[in-house]
Amino acid sequence: MDRDSEGLGSRLVKILMVTPYPPMRDGIATYAAQAVRQLRAEGHDVEVLSPGPSAAHYHLDLVGPRGALALGKRVPRYDKVIVQFHPDFFYPLPSSVRDRIEVSLALAASFRLAREVEVVVHEIDYRHGRLRSPDGYAARALWHSVDRILVHTEGERRDFITAFGVSSTRVLLATHGARFSRNTHHDHETARASLGVPADALMFLTIGFIQESKGFDRAILAFAGLGARGARLDVVGRSRLAEDGSGYENHVDVLAAATDGVHRHKGFVSDELFDRWIVASDVVVLPYRNVWSSGVLERASLYDKEVIATRIGGLAEQAADRPGMTFVRDDAGLRRAMWERVMGARKGLTLEPWPAEGDRLRADLQRQIRRRAAAARGSRAASAAPVGAAPDVAAARERAALVAGAVSAPVRRVGELALPPTASQRSGGALVKRVVRRLTAWELGPIVGEVNALRAATIESLESAGAQVGVAAATADDAERAVRSRGQRSAGRAAGKRGSGGPAVRTERADALDDGIACPPPRRG
Amino acid sequence: MCARKAAGPAPERPPMIGSRASSDRSGKLAFVPTRYAKGMVGGAELVLAQMAHGLAERGWDVEILTTCASNHWTWENELPAGDSIVDGVPVQRFPVVKEDIPERGVLEHEIMAGGVPSITEQQRWMNSGMRVPALYHHLVDHGDDYRAVLFTPYPSWVTFACAQAVPDKSVLWTCLHDEPYAYLELFQPVFTGVAGLLFQSGPEHQLAHRIADPLSPHAVVGCPVAVPKKYDPDGFRERYGIDGRFVFYTGRREGGKGWPDLLDMLARAVARSPELPFSLVTGGAGEIDAPAPIKDRVIDVGFLPDEERDNAMAAADAYMQPGRYEAFSMTIMESWLAGTPVIANGAGEVVAWHCKRSGAGLTYDDEFEFEQCLRFLAEAPEAAAELAAPGRDYVLDNYQTEHVLDRVECEIARWTGIRKGSVAGS
Repeated sequence: MDRDSEGLGSRLVKILMVTPYPPMRDGIATYAAQAVRQLRAEGHDVEVLSPGPSAAHYHLDLVGPRGALALGKRVPRYDKVIVQFHPDFFYPLPSSVRDRIEVSLALAASFRLAREVEVVVHEIDYRHGRLRSPDGYAARALWHSVDRILVHTEGERRDFITAFGVSSTRVLLATHGARFSRNTHHDHETARASLGVPADALMFLTIGFIQESKGFDRAILAFAGLGARGARLDVVGRSRLAEDGSGYENHVDVLAAATDGVHRHKGFVSDELFDRWIVASDVVVLPYRNVWSSGVLERASLYDKEVIATRIGGLAEQAADRPGMTFVRDDAGLRRAMWERVMGARKGLTLEPWPAEGDRLRADLQRQIRRRAAAARGSRAASAAPVGAAPDVAAARERAALVAGAVSAPVRRVGELALPPTASQRSGGALVKRVVRRLTAWELGPIVGEVNALRAATIESLESAGAQVGVAAATADDAERAVRSRGQRSAGRAAGKRGSGGPAVRTERADALDDGIACPPPRRG
Repeated sequence: MCARKAAGPAPERPPMIGSRASSDRSGKLAFVPTRYAKGMVGGAELVLAQMAHGLAERGWDVEILTTCASNHWTWENELPAGDSIVDGVPVQRFPVVKEDIPERGVLEHEIMAGGVPSITEQQRWMNSGMRVPALYHHLVDHGDDYRAVLFTPYPSWVTFACAQAVPDKSVLWTCLHDEPYAYLELFQPVFTGVAGLLFQSGPEHQLAHRIADPLSPHAVVGCPVAVPKKYDPDGFRERYGIDGRFVFYTGRREGGKGWPDLLDMLARAVARSPELPFSLVTGGAGEIDAPAPIKDRVIDVGFLPDEERDNAMAAADAYMQPGRYEAFSMTIMESWLAGTPVIANGAGEVVAWHCKRSGAGLTYDDEFEFEQCLRFLAEAPEAAAELAAPGRDYVLDNYQTEHVLDRVECEIARWTGIRKGSVAGS
């Protein structure tokens, strides 16, 4: 199916765009403003009608059948009417069956008065089309009165056609960001400087209206532990309305404040500043729980940014064939993707070559394996043993790394918590599991995320404490060795050469640490 | 015997002509004052328009985009929409749309009372006053024609909406005051998401940092002050029939400017010290509405041409600045240029800052201090002249038009350097 087949061709026409509009700050308003800009640039005579006063040419309260009928009085004056559709613009909240019937029929009547109607669907409840009831028939009548319906993903298109019984030839795909243009001239470096972000930090960004469906909390929980590895997560935005979502915003604020490396930037973000944050970032995180398509994804693509996103709604389809996209299924996947991104950035860490021979080959190999694995999972202790460091520094850090790895081992062995798979051998089992997942995910998902964040924080704490113990032990060993050395010199002088027990004791302990059994063994369930 | 100030100050130090910044002047600049009309009284819009003419004289391709209104209360479309040329500068006017939406008054009251409406209400408040959709769409259609678009002041719908139409070309002559509006979350994008912010004083700069983070690129550039060539205080007295000593106030006579407070304080000071010799001469616009006891002391000379305003400044014992929300206060500069001291409301952070830096003004924090300021003027006119003396140098050193335009040019060039493809035809 062709995208953006809006049928205007080279014909210049008079258009009425019905939409929320700047300076109201709203995703659809921004989307519409860019569409208006482009259509006018193409030479079309575009006027805008918004649901409330704005920079639009006209405004009209569109909610309810009166609003829809009032719209009908205006549409005959235009060659084409484009409606940016969200049910809340037209249907009362909450809507009764009668409301839905009245509004749908009034809109259908109004649309039939227009010469040509195109509706860009930003959100809709398909259930209303599937109903074999008067409001279902009214909804289908409404959509049959529209000449062209634009959706943003093939999935939406399929669902729309099925739900409302509209001819497939009239439901087209719009490329979400086709009309987006850049709002800032900053480059990565100047954007960071202007925002106070260090030039060398690996920066994740999650940005937009703070609401539960956007999953900002998931990004913070997934990030937990990465702050200690030099990464940062900037959480930018505010709740859409002060009177709703503030509870969730508070939750996000508390999580952000409690998580090392998370920087919370509250408040109203301009289009320019929005883009500047994206330009400054390395990776844009879209941890959405529920979304159809994403304007943030489009803006990230505009600046060729890497994106980590949950595979939800039509996002995967929206991002098809775009480089730098990573899709995850759940919180564990989100966490893994963010951690892998940080570890990937640390691949430059130079490690010693694999030991190839020697009397202690196995022990050396084991040490090397642990060191490399620790580096891969982002252990600060492991990364603190660079090749080329002074021998005494390297030795101390080596000891610290060994102890750190040993003390965290019991927790690491537990593994991350994940919701069980929904696959099943039994007939219908998978369906039941998916239904159960859908019904419970809203509650279990955050719990899983919290548990994994707690696990990560525990590992981080243990390794940090362990590294300090290791350093202290190395210092004590040095002192012990010095004492022994003095003692040996005295004893040697007194009794001649004898074998020394000191180094053997130390080696035993070091080997024990290498095996990860120096600390209390893990409980096995 | 009146201790009249005789001849106007013959400046010991002549105004300097600034060394013009040699900057890249390619590309077109749009200046967007919300009003632009002959006879407009004071305000940021006037300064912005003057700046437009100043930069046009320096060789910039300048255009003024404004509304058809000249009255900031009614916003009636009194001037024809469309193109015209004013003093050599192209002007495009766009019609204002204004509806009486009752909710605006309710929300305005809540905001001024220190309440914080929800962000949705703030947006409704902003959109329920005057709007200029045609200007917004002009920038949507032709934004690429401009190198930079300069707006003022920050709380106007024109600035709020239109700056967001061309955010990376928008430069704000911010005119930020420590007032309830400034703290509305609504305006954060205006402070954080534009090409640059031009501040007029240190306190304004500090206030901006307290209010918004991260601030857009910004600089303190001051405000251009024209230096009169001569003064004729006696001629002013003669032409306006003013005898005796007086203090002077010019500008908008309205609550936001502290006018009622000035009248009240004067009435109480006179009640306690009836021997105070001063009348209050006032020029500008707005109702006088003086309390009965001082009605005969208040003399309205109406709207004064610039020269007569300067003559009045020179003839006065002091200039009174009762406003607490001044972003710069052009009038105190004009007073100091005329060799006249300033008596100002200490709550006005910017004016107090100027008074302290220049050493040429006194501030008051209550009616008793106000009264003592007047007593000082009455009893020690020579000392008052001494007080005023450093004021002129302060203005000449910091705010001569050429110096300020140099700084403005420099910042425009820095923030809006021509980028490939960003300006049509360049």
